[in-house]
Amino acid sequence: MSATLLSVEALRVHIPVTRGVVLRRTTGVVRAVDGVTLDVREGETLGLVGESGSGKTTLGRAIVGLVPPTAGSIRLRGVEVSTLSGRGARRARSELQMVFQDPFASLDPRWPIARSVEEPLRLHRAGDRRERRERVLELLELVGLSRRMADRYPHELSGGQRQRVGLARALALRPALVVADEAVSALDVSIQAQILNLLQRLQEELGLAYLFIAHDLAVVHQISDRIAVMYLGQIVELSPGVDLYREPMHPYTVSLLSANPVPDPSVEAARERIVLPGDPPSAAAPPPGCRFHTRCWLRERLGDPEICRTLEPLLREVGPGRSVACHFADEAAASPVTRRAVDLAGGRA
Amino acid sequence: MLSVRDLVVRFSTGRGVVHAVNGVSLDVEPGGTLGLVGESGSGKSVTSLAIMRLLPRGGRVVSGQVWFGGRDLLRLSAAEMRSVRGREIAMILQDPQSSLNPVLPVGEQIEEAIRAHERVSRPAARARAVELLGAVGIARPEEQLGRFPHQLSGGMRQRVMIAIALALRPTLLIADEPTTALDVTVQAQVLELLRDLTDEVGAAVVLISHDLGIMARMAGRIAVMYAGRVVESAPTEELFARPRHPYTVGLLRSIPRIGGARRALVPIEGSPPDLERLPEGCPFAPRCAWRIEACWTQNPSLATDDGPAHLVACHDPAEPEEVGPGRPIRPGFAPAPPPGIRAGVA
Ligand SMILES: Nc1ncnc2c1ncn2[C@@H]1O[C@H](COP(=O)(O)OP(=O)(O)OP(=O)(O)O)[C@@H](O)[C@H]1O
Ligand SMILES: Nc1ncnc2c1ncn2[C@@H]1O[C@H](COP(=O)(O)OP(=O)(O)OP(=O)(O)O)[C@@H](O)[C@H]1O
Ligand code: SF4
Ligand SMILES: [Mg+2]
Ligand SMILES: [Mg+2]
Repeated sequence: MSATLLSVEALRVHIPVTRGVVLRRTTGVVRAVDGVTLDVREGETLGLVGESGSGKTTLGRAIVGLVPPTAGSIRLRGVEVSTLSGRGARRARSELQMVFQDPFASLDPRWPIARSVEEPLRLHRAGDRRERRERVLELLELVGLSRRMADRYPHELSGGQRQRVGLARALALRPALVVADEAVSALDVSIQAQILNLLQRLQEELGLAYLFIAHDLAVVHQISDRIAVMYLGQIVELSPGVDLYREPMHPYTVSLLSANPVPDPSVEAARERIVLPGDPPSAAAPPPGCRFHTRCWLRERLGDPEICRTLEPLLREVGPGRSVACHFADEAAASPVTRRAVDLAGGRA
Repeated sequence: MLSVRDLVVRFSTGRGVVHAVNGVSLDVEPGGTLGLVGESGSGKSVTSLAIMRLLPRGGRVVSGQVWFGGRDLLRLSAAEMRSVRGREIAMILQDPQSSLNPVLPVGEQIEEAIRAHERVSRPAARARAVELLGAVGIARPEEQLGRFPHQLSGGMRQRVMIAIALALRPTLLIADEPTTALDVTVQAQVLELLRDLTDEVGAAVVLISHDLGIMARMAGRIAVMYAGRVVESAPTEELFARPRHPYTVGLLRSIPRIGGARRALVPIEGSPPDLERLPEGCPFAPRCAWRIEACWTQNPSLATDDGPAHLVACHDPAEPEEVGPGRPIRPGFAPAPPPGIRAGVA
């Protein structure tokens, strides 16, 4: 097993919610990330899936230093990075790069894309102008954009093309870890396949590690060694990808599997999806006990055990490299609901 | 309900002309869901923006018609078109960030949309807004009304956009990647919502997505676009079972799947076409393992293939036995450099 590159411990990112544009009043706090512990090993891909609003982006932003943690630690090769400043911070930041969910917001509309890709090179004074230009063109080609596009502006590109620009920029400084936040979600499947293969090739060649955030479980499966599932600011399950999909142990993971669209019309027509009842709870006031209990299909089937409402299940190890935060993980794994969801999640072979 | 005929859209830029849409024809039945898939940059968004007459600066419709409710939308006055947009056709834009006003609370933006086409009081509009946010799965909608777009997660912003589109109770909804930023359970919920809309109001939907799983779930018919043209169009089951266009075959091969052992993905080789310099022949030819001589010189037109419902634009469509997983079976194939260029192809 390779060495730990990044280690996140008991990380909390609480964001004050303000009202009013002029006179800002704090009206509460959103517990966007609320006690996350995880490791990313050298050269590994850790997939991150989970409910919309569960804190995946915030976790990624905290790791690359874009949002300060409220508590907990983030260490890169053992060195705490969240409190670094000055040159140390800049060096650490060049090793931790992020590709954003929203390609529109992350590119400066006034700059030709070559300039955006060049920016990190300029900030870190890498090479002279000609060398930087050459490197930019190389990077654009690397992500499947023709050199002719270098002088285009973001609004002249399609959504997918813009996403590739963001990727080129993140790779400019040869980082050790790239947080890819929905980086391939806007791409068509063929270019997505190219980029996934590319990410894998870069990983082998450069020893890159990825924290790969995405909603499409099949995409996450394709690229990840291990997968973490987030719900309401916390990790509820973490396993090697194969185990997670063959033998999910958290009821939320099962509902994800049951809802994941399968490229097979006959399966889609036949399949039942677990509908999560009720509203997603507020990250400002998470439910007591198990955070998932207000929507859990298993709790209902088990006759509403009290422990789900009163005691918070901790993420505990249940097998080699497998952890889950549910009081009834064994029951979840054995449930026929789980079996059906697993059987159809891959479509008919 | 909606018939697009031979739509051609070009962008004039400082460097030249971008041939974004090159003769697209599409039909959507009342109550039907047409899925639009295709390569990034193939013109899906531009086609839908042209239908809505919301093309960005520099873009213009060169020719074609957009028939909707007996009128050619391209010939309506600006005022008439505004009313069509307000009442009959709604669109969910691909990019929620740029379509929400960053300095206005989202609640007000929804209320504005409601009051733009319905005479209702402010409190009634507010109540509708709360109801709509609830319908798209946003928790405690009252609390969210006062939030600004940047205070919401990507998925929440996208749902706000959907709420605004649904507020109009449109008869045609064009949804451009409406669920890309949503987790799969919320995605399922939003897709159900779109389906309810088609079932209850008989609304038709044009659904743009590159997620073939979503297409399998939602679309009655799928049109596949490449280089600004529809290259294949068939009922959903048929398209998955018997893809004919080599690009479609390539798409189906490049999907990752959960079941079984992980296998290397097979992307389509070569690079996307340069829309500033379209080739003379089939734009897919440089990347196509099926190509024959004619492909370099003649651009095939969309024509019926097996049965009247299956259309394909290809000189030599794939046979079923050539479609399975793995590499194309024609020996000696390598993607070619772009062929001799002819500038400014219509
Ligand atoms: N600047 C902010 N102000 C207030 N709340 C915020 C802010 N940024 C994020 N949040 C809240 O923090 C929570 C987590 O958001 P985050 O964007 O990390 O979720 P996510 O898991 O990435 O979701 P998605 O899958 O939709 O992108 C959400 O409830 C969101 O509304
Ligand atoms: N404002 C513009 N100026 C110049 N070219 C443009 C403009 N908008 C789009 N284009 C070009 O038109 C073509 C079609 O773009 P479009 O946005 O329709 O692609 P798409 O099929 O929606 O792709 P995606 O799946 O990535 O969203 C692309 O090559 C794009 O670069
Ligand atoms: S602890 Fe209880 S409520 Fe939480 S996931 Fe497990 S069964 Fe469901
Ligand atoms: Mg996010
Ligand atoms: Mg688009």
